[in-house]
Amino acid sequence: MSSIAGTLAYPISSFILISAFYMQGQEFIRPMIRGQLIQSLLIAAVSFIVGFSENNIDFIILGIFIVFLRGALVTYFLEKGVPSKKVYFYEKKVDVAYLLLVDLIFIVIAVFLIYSIVFSSISIKSLIGNNGILVFPLTLFFQGLFLIASRRTTFAQIIGYVEEENALVLFALFLLPIPIIIEASVFMDVLALVVISSIVVIEKSTHERVEELIG
Amino acid sequence: MSPGLFLVILTLFVPVVAFLFYFAGLKAANIAGGVINTSIAVLLYFFRPPVGLFFVDFTTWVFIMMVTAISLLSSFYATRYFKGSKMGIKEETFYLLMALFTTSMLFSLVINNYGLMWVGIEATTISSALLLITDKTETSLEATWRYLVIVSAGVTFAFFSIILIYYSLGTLEVSSVLAITAGTKSTPILKIAVAIALIGFGTKVGVFPVHTWLPDAHSEAPSPVSAMFSGVLLPTALYVLYRIFEIDPLRSLYVWFGVISVVAASIFLGYQTRYKRMFAYSTMENMNLALIGFASGGIAGITGALLLLISHSFGKAGAFYSSGNVLKATGKKGIEDINGLWNSMPMTSGSMLLSSLAVTGTPPFGTFFGEFLILYNLLTLHYYIQFVIVLFFLMTAFISVNLNVSKMIFRGESDYSEPDRVMPLISMVSSVMPIVIGIIFLVMTIEMV
Amino acid sequence: MVDVQYVTLVETVLQYFFVVLFAPLFAGILASFKSKVESKKGPSIFQPYYDLFKLLRKETLLPEGSGLLFKYIPYVAFGVYSLISIIIPVLIPQPIYFTASADFLGGAILFSTAAFMKMAAAMNSNSNFSALGTSRAISFNFLSEGTLITVFFAVSLITATNNPYVTNHFLVANPLQNVSLDHIFATLAFLMLFLYETGKLPLESSGLQELGMIEEGLNYEYSGKLLAINKWGSYIKQYLLGSVLLNVFLLPWGLFSTYPLFFLDVPVMILKWLLLIFIVIAIETTLAKLRLFRILDYLATAFTFSILFLIFSEVIV
Repeated sequence: MSSIAGTLAYPISSFILISAFYMQGQEFIRPMIRGQLIQSLLIAAVSFIVGFSENNIDFIILGIFIVFLRGALVTYFLEKGVPSKKVYFYEKKVDVAYLLLVDLIFIVIAVFLIYSIVFSSISIKSLIGNNGILVFPLTLFFQGLFLIASRRTTFAQIIGYVEEENALVLFALFLLPIPIIIEASVFMDVLALVVISSIVVIEKSTHERVEELIG
Repeated sequence: MSPGLFLVILTLFVPVVAFLFYFAGLKAANIAGGVINTSIAVLLYFFRPPVGLFFVDFTTWVFIMMVTAISLLSSFYATRYFKGSKMGIKEETFYLLMALFTTSMLFSLVINNYGLMWVGIEATTISSALLLITDKTETSLEATWRYLVIVSAGVTFAFFSIILIYYSLGTLEVSSVLAITAGTKSTPILKIAVAIALIGFGTKVGVFPVHTWLPDAHSEAPSPVSAMFSGVLLPTALYVLYRIFEIDPLRSLYVWFGVISVVAASIFLGYQTRYKRMFAYSTMENMNLALIGFASGGIAGITGALLLLISHSFGKAGAFYSSGNVLKATGKKGIEDINGLWNSMPMTSGSMLLSSLAVTGTPPFGTFFGEFLILYNLLTLHYYIQFVIVLFFLMTAFISVNLNVSKMIFRGESDYSEPDRVMPLISMVSSVMPIVIGIIFLVMTIEMV
Repeated sequence: MVDVQYVTLVETVLQYFFVVLFAPLFAGILASFKSKVESKKGPSIFQPYYDLFKLLRKETLLPEGSGLLFKYIPYVAFGVYSLISIIIPVLIPQPIYFTASADFLGGAILFSTAAFMKMAAAMNSNSNFSALGTSRAISFNFLSEGTLITVFFAVSLITATNNPYVTNHFLVANPLQNVSLDHIFATLAFLMLFLYETGKLPLESSGLQELGMIEEGLNYEYSGKLLAINKWGSYIKQYLLGSVLLNVFLLPWGLFSTYPLFFLDVPVMILKWLLLIFIVIAIETTLAKLRLFRILDYLATAFTFSILFLIFSEVIV
């Protein structure tokens, strides 16, 4: 059972990474939001798999949380924030090839440094698969970070933040069952943050250098 | 139910209940709630809750005291500050968020669980973000956004450290984690967790490479909110960081990060042209000094850090209230645009001078004794290089801040007038507090000796 | 029993002539089937041969001011492709003569060498248009070469050797390895690369529209015999890349290496190629051509996949 779960977890995790690359390469906001939705659902799937393989109800509840809070509500609030009149709401000057390459360099350096220095020196054991599976959440985290850093649109930055949170959830999923009360509060926090951000989005949708805020 | 437990639960609910009364039409309810909460905090010194759901020791008590007192001052100040000015959010929303902000800070302080502490810190970000856009200018929106994105991204990173702590110890209760780790040898995983927390929670404390949101948020927020940020929000994050640091003291790492941040803050202080931004960098400097104090440990270090934090929170609140007065009266943000406050706004200029002396650690303010103890502690630990660096940059910071403030006060003449009678009074009270704290400390020390 | 020496010799000769002579056929089949799918009558499947014969008979014209490189490199490039065709497992799944001359990485570098030489030759034609084509090709090739080398490099990590024959045997022996994550990624990256290198539709329409041409831009000034050789070289390259895709990544099974059975490799390879042709036609007829500067994005995606593959094969045991 556990080995099947491991085999399933790997392809799903890699699709999670691919969804992150997909989001990184989008100019338009709506496909990014959809990408986030798919990513969250994939993480929910991982949660269910881990739950069944470990016979732990916590993971199942967590999966349901992810589907409702990440999948449904966060997507709903983000979609609501997209200006309805501008169907083609997008960010200019997105050089996909450049972004993908820089993203890769960033990930490879960051993850490999962390993985080869930190994870090789400590004894850490993941629930399913082998320890190598922890590379996926780490990579996802740095992809989220890079998404925030590389974009000027408020939306893209929120989505990058949600992606980081997804990475945390995935990291915790692979490692151990976190107390459900804490996970639930974390989800509520992220949801509240998205709501707050969508208020800011309405006021200001892109971010450039501001003279007064330098130095 | 023990009285301590009751008091802690009460202190968490008082701000929200006070807001409900305010919403029902009782305008003074906010201030009354602040007064009640501060008295509860004082009572907490005598009645501690049993360790269980909450974990309150002397260190926590000092922080609770700070939060309640500064919240009281800020909500009092806000009633005057917003009078007659156009607000970006509704006044009720502002007070609701202030109440939630206070509650979430108190929650992060008292809760006996690292995971929920993290949740509390994240909740402070959420509740305080919209307070920044009270003015609703283009720059304040940008600052709000930077604050949201940078801080939440950083604090997210800190959750890795929570996961690792839970992974290696199997519990997140602060009291039991500290009990487990007190005697045992540290493991590499815990070391990594503590190091990650420095960057993660350090984002909110204002540790050097991840401090960038700090000056923007402080300078664009309305003054009562700036005072809350500087006086209590950052210390709250520092408290959480300190609790994680206690698990496995990585002393050298933390001290060095603190030293580098003090250096960076002092250098940034040197070329600021806006007074609120200048005070923001001064906050960064003080926070990192307190971080050094906590990290160097020992009675001297921790006492010094607590003394520094509590006097600084009053002093810096005073500085931001004075800045608020000046901004309200002149409408100008630049240091060079403001001359001769001395003859037109005597009360405000007095409080501003006092508070700027307080936050730069002049004797007999409490901050001086705090800094003295921290530096002394560095020497006893044989951290000579760090000692010299910090001492030098503290002096440069002292010169930069006080030079700029005295320029604003004593250079030339002006014809402004005090915006209000109460506002300068509040800023004066807040600025005098560090002296009171310093004197109390001196008296207590002499008696003990 | 037949002497092993002779078997290997026969295998070598068979593989070489199969590759060189049959490579145009697959291009013809592809063009013909594609037309049929598009409800056109389409050329005969032997059309590439007719074209080659026609071109070989025609007069060769050299542009004014073109140099030695322009004149001789088509032969050299053809030679390089011939060499590659006998060092990687494109027909016979066991080492033959010349196999020892280069490994997987060597094959990748030989491909790069041929591409580089063709660009140098095009620059040497003294024609602005070819120079334009060259700069276009170079600006895309930096990513495709990277992908090619990374994929070859990374596939060797599966077996900890960069001998393609060992990899092929390993994959045949361990069928589960074919659905492993890293293998799937490498296959995907290599398929994307194959489509680019052979000028297939989402990237390049190999008609006469100069806006869409990348590879064709390099051949622009060639005529007669030289053009025939260049075209033939391209057919061989397409066959080689496609066969690597089939034999190492997609379908490593079905090839024989013992004495009389290895003649069966010819029909097996043709069947495998028919499958690949169907895949390519499916892609070509369903996708619209990408805008020229989008090709970089496409190649970056392929590169991303190949690097991911590298990470996974390193981390996930």
